[in-house]
Amino acid sequence: MRRSALFLAAALAGTAAFPAGGQPVLVETPLLEAAVKAGTLPPVAARVPAQANIAVLEKHGKSLGRHGGKLNLLMGKQKDTKIMMVYGYARLISYDENLNFVSDLLADFDVQDQRIFTFRLRKGHKWSDGHPFTTEDFRYYWEDIATNTDISSKGLPQALLVQGKGPTFEVLDETTVRYTWSAPNPNFVPWIARPRPLLLYRPAHYLKQFHAKYGDEAKLNAAARKENKRNWANLHADRDRWYRMDNPARPTLQPWHNSTKPPSERFIFKRNPFYHRVDKNGRQLPYIDNVVLNHGATNMVPARTGSGEADLQARYLRFDHFTFLKESEKRYDFSVRLWKKARGSQIALFPNLNARDEVWRDLFQDVRFRRALSIAIHRAEINQVIYYGLAQESQDTVLRKSPLYKDAYRTAWTAFDLSQANKLLDEVGLTERDEDGLRLLPDGRPAVITVETAGESTEQTDVLELVRDGWRQVGIKLLSKPSQREVFRQRIYSGDTIMSIWSGVSNGIPTALMSPSEFSPSNRLQLQWPRWGHYVQSGGKSGEMPELKPAKRLIRLNEEWTNATSASEKSKIWHEVLQIHADNVFVIGLVNGTMQPVVISNKLRNIPAEGVYNWHPGAYFGIYKPATFWLTEEKGGRS
Amino acid sequence: MLGYLVRRFFIMIPTLLAISLIVFLIIELPPGDYLESYVSELQAQGETVDQKHIEFLREQYGFDKPVLTRYWEWVTGMVVGDFGFSFEYRLPVSDVVGDRLFLTILVSTVTIIFTWIIAFPIGLYSATHQYSWGDYGLTFIGLLGLATPNFLLALIMLYFANVIFGTSIGGLMDPDYIDQPWSWDKAMSVLEHLWIPVVVIGTSGTAGMIRRLRANMLDELQKQYVTTARAKGLPPLRMLLKYPLRNAINFFIADIGSLLPNIISGAELVAVVLSLPTTGPVLIAALQSQDMYLAGSFLMFLASLTVVGVLLSDILLAWLDPRIRLAGGVAK
Amino acid sequence: MSIETGNDRQLDHYVSKAPFDPRSIEALPPEQERYYLASQWQLMWWKFIRHRLALISGGFLLLMYGSILISEFLAPYNLHSRNINAIYSPPQSVHIFHEGAFIGPFVYGTHYKLNLRNLRREYTEDTSKIYRVNFFCRGDEYDFWGLGTGDLHFFCIEEGGTLFLLGTDRLGRDILSRILYGARISLTIGLIGIMMSFVLGMVIGGIAGYYGGVIDLVVQRIIEILQSFPQIPLWMALSAVLPVTWSPLLIYFGITVILAMLDWTGLARAVRSKLLALREEDYCLAAQLMGAKPKRIIGRHLMPGFMSHLIASATLSIPTMILGETALSFLGLGLRPPITSWGILLNEAQNISVVALYPWLILPVAPVILVILAFSFLGDGLRDAADPYK
Repeated sequence: MRRSALFLAAALAGTAAFPAGGQPVLVETPLLEAAVKAGTLPPVAARVPAQANIAVLEKHGKSLGRHGGKLNLLMGKQKDTKIMMVYGYARLISYDENLNFVSDLLADFDVQDQRIFTFRLRKGHKWSDGHPFTTEDFRYYWEDIATNTDISSKGLPQALLVQGKGPTFEVLDETTVRYTWSAPNPNFVPWIARPRPLLLYRPAHYLKQFHAKYGDEAKLNAAARKENKRNWANLHADRDRWYRMDNPARPTLQPWHNSTKPPSERFIFKRNPFYHRVDKNGRQLPYIDNVVLNHGATNMVPARTGSGEADLQARYLRFDHFTFLKESEKRYDFSVRLWKKARGSQIALFPNLNARDEVWRDLFQDVRFRRALSIAIHRAEINQVIYYGLAQESQDTVLRKSPLYKDAYRTAWTAFDLSQANKLLDEVGLTERDEDGLRLLPDGRPAVITVETAGESTEQTDVLELVRDGWRQVGIKLLSKPSQREVFRQRIYSGDTIMSIWSGVSNGIPTALMSPSEFSPSNRLQLQWPRWGHYVQSGGKSGEMPELKPAKRLIRLNEEWTNATSASEKSKIWHEVLQIHADNVFVIGLVNGTMQPVVISNKLRNIPAEGVYNWHPGAYFGIYKPATFWLTEEKGGRS
Repeated sequence: MLGYLVRRFFIMIPTLLAISLIVFLIIELPPGDYLESYVSELQAQGETVDQKHIEFLREQYGFDKPVLTRYWEWVTGMVVGDFGFSFEYRLPVSDVVGDRLFLTILVSTVTIIFTWIIAFPIGLYSATHQYSWGDYGLTFIGLLGLATPNFLLALIMLYFANVIFGTSIGGLMDPDYIDQPWSWDKAMSVLEHLWIPVVVIGTSGTAGMIRRLRANMLDELQKQYVTTARAKGLPPLRMLLKYPLRNAINFFIADIGSLLPNIISGAELVAVVLSLPTTGPVLIAALQSQDMYLAGSFLMFLASLTVVGVLLSDILLAWLDPRIRLAGGVAK
Repeated sequence: MSIETGNDRQLDHYVSKAPFDPRSIEALPPEQERYYLASQWQLMWWKFIRHRLALISGGFLLLMYGSILISEFLAPYNLHSRNINAIYSPPQSVHIFHEGAFIGPFVYGTHYKLNLRNLRREYTEDTSKIYRVNFFCRGDEYDFWGLGTGDLHFFCIEEGGTLFLLGTDRLGRDILSRILYGARISLTIGLIGIMMSFVLGMVIGGIAGYYGGVIDLVVQRIIEILQSFPQIPLWMALSAVLPVTWSPLLIYFGITVILAMLDWTGLARAVRSKLLALREEDYCLAAQLMGAKPKRIIGRHLMPGFMSHLIASATLSIPTMILGETALSFLGLGLRPPITSWGILLNEAQNISVVALYPWLILPVAPVILVILAFSFLGDGLRDAADPYK
């Protein structure tokens, strides 16, 4: 009876096409058989939700796997345990490989006018400790965390606010909740699907014991102080470390849950026996029993990977380790793949349009000056020298993989052309030169641009070496100065830094449904216009009002995008944003489409050979659903 | 003697207070704070940073309190054994450090023994054969260890140990034994990994040890009692070991002060390269990410150890050497 | 002295007509005389040259320090000259004979191919092309100490060829040239640093040793406190304080000051204890009895006594400073590119790919080792010579 219910619900939910005629007969996981027999764990049929999410593997060219094995990963700092929240990538709603939203933890969801969001849970869904996952967990988050003044003393998270106002939250029944805003909130679902998501639910049954509302406040405060924490809210936040996933006692919905008490050099993540997905053969996912995180110095990760200590590794590997790893391929049973990165520009120069120095500020706000700087860079050489010619010379814009891509956006003002750069600089009025051939600024100083780096990557200093030559030829001297990461952003925000180097937009593969806010002043952490960004972010309370026309237009466009209802409308807005960027060169992008070496054990199945390695959207490996990865028993196999 | 001890002990208190001030200064001086470095780390990865979350953390971690309050809370906490809270680990400092102390002490102790075993015979030989080719050659080898930057040597040895012996890279044991109870196999695995850090750290210490032993021995050898002993026909080796050597190794005792903190902190840089589960890398990482209470309490702990160590060696010396005891306090 | 006086058998009273020299009996052979009349410094020199390794080391160091005056001339390429067709090129070997025929020093041309399978740049010798190594020739243009530009180099390669005796790095820069330029920073940082710590140590140690009492006690405590910290955290904290607005040159001096600030304690201790010990010596007492003023006693009698020791221990702590700079670079603190020092070169070599694939990038370790060895031997020699009356 349960099975037929499961079949029915899955078919109705329509999240996964169910093969006609085949009913998955649930199979017990070998690792858990003993516990089930001993009665400490319910049988698989009672663990999987009545409306299990059935993984359609063959649709993505994947195979049906077997249970068992462990996956070794190499990590650096203690807090890298968070990577399991990212790789696990079980979200209420998640991106599929084609960047469409699909319900994952949810049985189904429904959006009206981008304002009213109704979420339906799976019946019989359980936390990793076996306790039911219900709308009570959503209520707990909303009432006892998000709107609790002790825990969220700073108010609702940014992602829940639309024009400064939060949603109305309703529990419709045990499996249905609804969030309603008065204005469209197109970023709500993307936020839920992010690698570090907006987490709308918490394990209420576990956390209540730390909440003053459900216990004795004085006692909780005393317990908190014993652990060096200020008050119970602190203790509650500590026990609830959902993102770091390092509290073994806190239940989760991810495919693996931590079993090691920190601090440790080695965290073992065990399979979640209540995970909500099964394959067509009735095997509960994940296939792999344990994921082991071995921590150590990050600079030794390439060496350790090269000695076969990792089964799946990309973190802390850089492009220049590829050759070394390729050599080690011969000695160990792994393959090195090159995946694409999806940053708008691997490395970009950010002229500070809010620089304190008025002369520089005026120059940087002059589009001709920015264009001249851009075309005086020999991008092809940078590509050859540092990226072996495998990258793309490009502005800081969307990549070819994005449906919004146009060649013109990429190539605008990127062709190396010294004579035109010189002409543009002359037009700007920098005609005077000193005896070394350096152009003189209007106030008589020589044109020396100091580019500040966050001081950690040699890649950036190397690129600057290459940029220096081109700029020298148009009469501008480049000095690079390493800063410290603590002061890097401060100095940019205060306008002390006139130019900085960093990577371009983090999402280079957006669809029209993703927010274009990265391309417009929206955040104080933006390096090209920190004060304008702060102005928008704070709703005009701090920062400076942008006066530059295209920047104002970008802000306007961002608002229009938020209110636009149709995909075609949003797409139109996106194109205008990208066109403005291409014309104005607010950020001087250098190359994109760079590669990330990914080391994959030859025993590991269902992971694509070619992929995109990106934080958002992508969650690194998360989008390829590591719960469906499996380890073969045969030796080798992959070529 | 008792008066000397009491006086010596009371001098320690202002010293420790001054140290705590300096430590606090060290961790407060660098611009920015832990949250700044936390934000830029998130940014580097592409994570969006919710300003509200940061403000919440700022409050949670007590960054909103004035500097003096924080200093006072930290110092008074330490007196009652509360070393503060690590932001990075989100654990009390004692939990973070305590976990690693055993292996750190193991590595350091073995290293020191290794250093002594190498340095002793070489120092003796060099002193008794001054300016011979043997003296030159052995000193040269000792100095070579001093002259090679440790962190580079560590990396090179690590690589070749992996290629030649298949030793897993980094760490003090095969990963499978981490967090497992001690067993014969685990001990063997530790031994297999231990020699690289011991040799790398040891080589740099050997040269100094050789040099000091040689110089002290040379001083002693010129004294008249040596001539007397020789004239009386004492066998050379016995004479050497029984009299001048005993006097020459006084400096080992004087060294205890500086030895103790070295045992605990381990050679930080080598430990970082070799990913040793010792305290050194924790300290370095804490300083880099401005995890201030972790760094501060740990530094304080090390400095106090030195002070205690110096006290111990002063007492030992005073006990051994009546001149110091009676002169009252011109020690070391 | 003989009393035999020829054939005269008569033994009569003899009176020597030579003027009486009451000291003639003490006359010494010239060799010994030279020894006893020599000044203390001369004696030290004689004792020093007996330590042959120290002598050689001293000579080597003089050469090294001399080289930093003319790095531009000695280096075949400029510090920042890149060659994008020779990235990660291994060291080229110099040949003299080509197919049995004498040509003089030359290198073969290289053939470069990018292996796209493992992204390795592969270089092969192309023996059909021969490029002669020329001496005193024209090459990269440089600015010589602000005195003017020059392009004369000690050696360079014939037009069209490349000469990378120690290989190139990831941007195709010549390692040999970078080592030669890096010496400028790395060698002087030790020297300037030691001078500062020398002055600090002398003044503070001298005051403590001479006045004693409360001052001595306070200084002793300060030294104890400073020495009770592990060095690396102190370096890290202090170099993090250096303002980022400083120019690279200022940062360089800042780092030097930091290294010096933590180094003087040992010297101060040595000065103090030497002063205390020498104060009790008989000759000091004698000088006091003869009415010499403290100033004269310190300057004339005590100073020479411990100066030599100080110089020796100062020499011995230069290596710590040079290694300190490399350690700071390793931590990403202190000096950073585009400044080039040995520490920075080594830090760039601190990478598993380098050890496995491009081992020639580790070569900057050779001058570091050599210089530190030389300083150590020189210091040993100086110390042995410091007490010449032994």
